[in-house]
Amino acid sequence: MSTPRSNPEWLQHLQAGGSLQEAAIADLRDLLLRAALYFFSRNTSDFQGLGREEITQRAEDCAQEALIAVLDRLPEFRGESQFSTWAYKFAINKALTTARRERWKGASLDELASSAEGDFQEWRIQDKAEGVTPEQSAMQGEIQAVLVEVIEHDLTEKQRHVLLMMVFQEVPLDEVVHRLGSNRNAVYKLLHDARRKLKSGLLARGFDTGETLTLFGVSG
Amino acid sequence: MRKDRFERWLKNIHYTREQEISCSECFDQVSHFVDVELSGEDAAGRMPLLRQHLDQCAACREEYETLRDLRRLENQGQLPSVDDLKDLLP
Repeated sequence: MSTPRSNPEWLQHLQAGGSLQEAAIADLRDLLLRAALYFFSRNTSDFQGLGREEITQRAEDCAQEALIAVLDRLPEFRGESQFSTWAYKFAINKALTTARRERWKGASLDELASSAEGDFQEWRIQDKAEGVTPEQSAMQGEIQAVLVEVIEHDLTEKQRHVLLMMVFQEVPLDEVVHRLGSNRNAVYKLLHDARRKLKSGLLARGFDTGETLTLFGVSG
Repeated sequence: MRKDRFERWLKNIHYTREQEISCSECFDQVSHFVDVELSGEDAAGRMPLLRQHLDQCAACREEYETLRDLRRLENQGQLPSVDDLKDLLP
């Protein structure tokens, strides 16, 4: 069980040297391990085929990596949150990346890209007219045609690739990042730029995106 | 595409802003956001760009939700021990 510490005490103890520092690092490591295990316990389906010992070992690895990251970035802690809240996020970040890597480890990038392209082509011709009037159905079809047109003509190859993988194939962000050898910021930017173009495309053709939500029965 | 997935995509398009914060900026601010939220204050009102990023980014949102729930347990004195958490694993 960790010893409760105030923010200044955490900072002081983690940099104190000697037994005070050793105890603080041990307590911090315990908190980070709990954070990683907590994430894994909520996402056990990511670990099909793995036993408790193997999952625990992965949590230990996450806690160790998070501990190094926390100590490395300690000078950046400005006390805007409680220290444990600030520290937990490093372990949760490592745990999420590890869990998603485990879930998607069997799928190749080519297979994912191919499946995403297939899903997109299937979606293009899918009839969405369920429980709507013929007029609404026609409008939905027009909106879908705009989205397809923007995806096919306005997006860059990278934007299209990332959009199809994440939206149509539901590949998680971190897995796309891993497969592309990129980072979260860069992939998020690609997706953001794609969304901006889709929104602009709809607006340019006279479709207010708020009305689009209403038309498809989506609550704002 | 599944219906719920399509609906979320449409919402993401609708709520797209010209300028959005990055995942790194979200990571830097999310612990503050969680503590503000759990103190009962209007975190989304104080940090609207962060809230918007969480609505757009599933990875950051999942990390935020986990952090919020973990922090809430700690605030309530109910943070599970390592052994308790191991017992929840298959």
